[in-house]
Amino acid sequence: MQESRLQPRYQLEAGRWDECHLPDGGLRPGWLELLAQIDRLGAREVNRRWEQCRRIIRENGVTYNMFRDGAAADRPWQLDPLPLVLSSEEWARIERGVAQRARAIDGFLADAYGAQRLIRERVIPAGVVFGHPQFLRPLHGVGVPNQSRLHFYACELVRCADGQWRVAADLTQAPPGAGYALENRIVLSRALPEPFREMRVQRLAGFFMRLRQQLLSLAPRNRDNPRVVLLTPGPFSETYFEHAYLAQYLGITLVQGDDLAVRDERVFLKTLGGLMPVDVVLRRLADDYCDPLELRNDSTLGVLGLAGAVRAGNVAVANSLGSGLADSPALVPYLPAITKALLGEDALIEGLPAWWGGDQAEHIIARLPDLILRPAWNNRGRPVLPATLPLVELSNLAADIRVRPHAYLAFERVARSTVPCWDDGRIVPRRMSLRVFAVRDGDGYAVMPGGLARIDAQGDGGQLWFERGGGSKDAWVLADGPVAEVTMLRANDAPLELKRGGIDLPSRVADNLFWLGRYAERAECIARLLRSALSCLAEDAAEADQAQIAAYLAILQRASGVASPPGPPSAVLVALIAEGASGPLKPVRDHLRRTAFGVRDRLSADTWRALTSLDAELGGEGAEDANQALARLNRVVIACAALAGMGRENTTRGPGWRFLDLGRRIERATFMVDALHAALEDGHGAAPELDALLRVADSAITYRSRYLTTIQTAPVVDLLLTDHTNPRAVAFQANQIAEHVANLPREAVGALPCPAERLATHFQAAVRLADPVDLCQRDPASANAMIALLDDLAGTLTALSDAVTTAWLTHIAPSRAFARDDIWRPTDDTPPQQA
Amino acid sequence: MRYRVRHITTYAYSEPVTLSQNLAHLAIRGSVRQQVSEARLDIEPTPAVVRRRSDYFGNPTDAFTITSQHARLVVSSQSVVQVEAPITPDPESTPAWDDMSLQGGGSDLAAAEYRYDSAQIPCAAVLRAYAQPDFTPGRPVLAATLAFNARINREFVYDPAATNVSTPVLDALDLRRGVCQDFAQVLIGALRTLGLCARYVSGYLETTPPPGRPRLVGADATHAWAQVWCGSQHGWIDLDPTNACIPGERHILVAIGRDFADVSPLKGMVLGGGQAEVTVGVDVERLH
Repeated sequence: MQESRLQPRYQLEAGRWDECHLPDGGLRPGWLELLAQIDRLGAREVNRRWEQCRRIIRENGVTYNMFRDGAAADRPWQLDPLPLVLSSEEWARIERGVAQRARAIDGFLADAYGAQRLIRERVIPAGVVFGHPQFLRPLHGVGVPNQSRLHFYACELVRCADGQWRVAADLTQAPPGAGYALENRIVLSRALPEPFREMRVQRLAGFFMRLRQQLLSLAPRNRDNPRVVLLTPGPFSETYFEHAYLAQYLGITLVQGDDLAVRDERVFLKTLGGLMPVDVVLRRLADDYCDPLELRNDSTLGVLGLAGAVRAGNVAVANSLGSGLADSPALVPYLPAITKALLGEDALIEGLPAWWGGDQAEHIIARLPDLILRPAWNNRGRPVLPATLPLVELSNLAADIRVRPHAYLAFERVARSTVPCWDDGRIVPRRMSLRVFAVRDGDGYAVMPGGLARIDAQGDGGQLWFERGGGSKDAWVLADGPVAEVTMLRANDAPLELKRGGIDLPSRVADNLFWLGRYAERAECIARLLRSALSCLAEDAAEADQAQIAAYLAILQRASGVASPPGPPSAVLVALIAEGASGPLKPVRDHLRRTAFGVRDRLSADTWRALTSLDAELGGEGAEDANQALARLNRVVIACAALAGMGRENTTRGPGWRFLDLGRRIERATFMVDALHAALEDGHGAAPELDALLRVADSAITYRSRYLTTIQTAPVVDLLLTDHTNPRAVAFQANQIAEHVANLPREAVGALPCPAERLATHFQAAVRLADPVDLCQRDPASANAMIALLDDLAGTLTALSDAVTTAWLTHIAPSRAFARDDIWRPTDDTPPQQA
Repeated sequence: MRYRVRHITTYAYSEPVTLSQNLAHLAIRGSVRQQVSEARLDIEPTPAVVRRRSDYFGNPTDAFTITSQHARLVVSSQSVVQVEAPITPDPESTPAWDDMSLQGGGSDLAAAEYRYDSAQIPCAAVLRAYAQPDFTPGRPVLAATLAFNARINREFVYDPAATNVSTPVLDALDLRRGVCQDFAQVLIGALRTLGLCARYVSGYLETTPPPGRPRLVGADATHAWAQVWCGSQHGWIDLDPTNACIPGERHILVAIGRDFADVSPLKGMVLGGGQAEVTVGVDVERLH
């Protein structure tokens, strides 16, 4: 075997194809060049670059949500630094085979949702269609744009011991992975620029341009400038990263089901400016979830009435509703016959040898130990390996196959190929499969020259690939000639209409931005407060400034509802800090994540990085001592400032920015009002309370420059409440809030101010009219007036937040199904009659 | 027999509804045995859009959307229908059930749609085991099914309190209790697990008042039964396990599907509404 310095112990497995090595020890085309380049870089350099890849991936926030549960951590995407190399001849075969298979599947879908000739002529068993839970009968006979139901297709290929690529799964409704493949390419071409350039790797951008063109071409109306949206199940979907990434890359709007509404059989996007028509929906939602009215009525993710709008021909959905019919293993055994019947061609790429129980139950039972069983209707179901089952379970399985034969599909067990992977300075073989993508292009399909190679964690395999620690690889398809550069920017001669910040911002996005502003500010306020409190802890606990710490804890309790248990304030603080990441900042972090994920496609890469680092600092590492906590809180405050700066300097002043900043201002005003309330509650402010106020508001230096060392209530209240030049004062927020509210988009300008404007004006006036000297007299009446003012301000802020939500954001309220099927049971009260 | 059927559904909401989207299977399906001469659907408030079409199974269905704010929705369907008695074959003359069964090698594409699991009726070994005694090898399919139909009627207790609309068929089988929907679904599930084709029927049944009492308007109710495929010569034969009979002139068929989910009389989604109170009145009046 040809030895490389980095792979002295690369063990070829008998009976398995290796992507890189020939059985006689030579290297396959392309690999020689790659490994020579890698050798030249040396292990240390490759490791360094690999670390760099991992950092880029972390910073870009490429994740794969393993758990639907929002609280669980996302797992960073795993990318191997060595690409899979495929020669152009090899690729040409794959390309032809995959494009043909896509045409055959599209033809199958057209037939199943139309004439059903394949069933009548017994090319396929009736059960492959009629028994399929995803055969969506309400969509039968419904026309589709461009005569195609399959616009975007993917298949999972494995290479068997004979060197042939075979299809292990077809993904026909919303194939995931293309966005990850693109991100892999961007990261890896940066990490290995020399081999990437010299080996003439085919580019991916052209494929995504075709995808975009295909989507635009589907529009039933507004064909000059159609509105295309990407429908995602939401941030808890395991591939949400990819939905946001693709939407951004393709330049289309990312929406959730509740962002869309159907009126008069047309689909609209709910925006701040009202309802805007939608022409094309690229869906990442399983098709039965797309319409709770006609399809699954327990779906909360879909768009009520979407199937009706499709039937009326007013909207195009890609892939068509119902295309999930082909997204199942049960079709695999019949695709060669379908290809022959519909295209008159022999299949250029085969599926894995497979048998469907509805047709071949006895064959499957006879050969159980040699086979892998899969649920017939679902590509995501767990496979069963009968060879590993105890005898009693094996016979139960055989019995169940006889009762529900159509529910089972059996695959021949095959030995998948191995591929060289990087393992801490060494190159080792791992098993792989390759996901290949195709997009409808004219009458045929264009195949992405590349793909997502998936590699198993050591010695593992199967369906739960990523959850079990598997990784991915970029796939490099080599070109014969020079490689053309492609860009996603449109080279359209028609002049674009100039636009300014859009009222077509989806209401849900505005809502998320509003709350993102609030939570980011809350994080900063609480972090500042904790940091100031910690600085009062001395080395020796006995010397700690208990009165001052007590003042901070009172503010914390008022502002964030963290109750202080009895005990010396310093001890309470230490206990609070010891909670580390699960302390007072925990709920803020959870909310920040949720709101930020909801607007992921709206945030710039820099903003996202700032958020990621804030999230990391808020996360922390379990329990910590005061010094560690202080250091971490410093980093939190800096991350917050970076985020705020990004919002101020790098965001266009559209409605999105207004909602973000409005949220921030309302939160800051609320916090300051709460802090004043906590500090002044007991009659008048004492020195420790006043000092705490100044520090929490980051205004101690300003105060000292004005009043030197004398601390009194009225000047402090002026600086924090009524001084409109202090960016931390309530008055400053009041002016900003009034300006934002006056400039929010509205559908009709009436003669009278709207409720939010009235509240903002009231708030501004109440702050402006407050006289700090009067309010800070040392008598009970003044003290009561002060507290009454603060109560009024706090109440107004709450009402204002609600009013903004009601006026601009409420139509995001989800629709609700009635449980009227409960009433609709037949014959509740008619006794049986003997006829 | 000629009937006028009125089916009125009223929803009273505790809070206003701003948008209501609905799908109704209330119009009566016509057939050689059923001549529908009137089929009106009155909806209050007036919908913005009403569309009648034929669904995948050939049933007339109405989709309607109400966009005006309302606190009350009234859907009233009124039909006039002439029902003829079926011509039922001699059960002993029908093909052997095991020849009919797909697993036995037979397959009729006209019926294949109704052979597989559906949303509410899965195939299951317990269903097969329950039916097996009546399905001896070689027995004619209708004879075996009628015997099983009668056995369900004997062994199940009619008990509206035991189940609700979403009770799984296997629970009803366990309980040996339920209403017409449960009876029909047990029958259908067992036939399908045996490899036969069976479908779900929603409809009405003319009721006879107790002796000496006047017929009460609105006291009738919806009903459900099943059909089994008896080969291309005989086609679909109706079976009512709740009443242990082959439905005749007093059964009025509204819609056919794989199970209740395909033919739910009225389903929909609303925006707003709070608590909904529903009243349903069905009236089957014989015309002379």
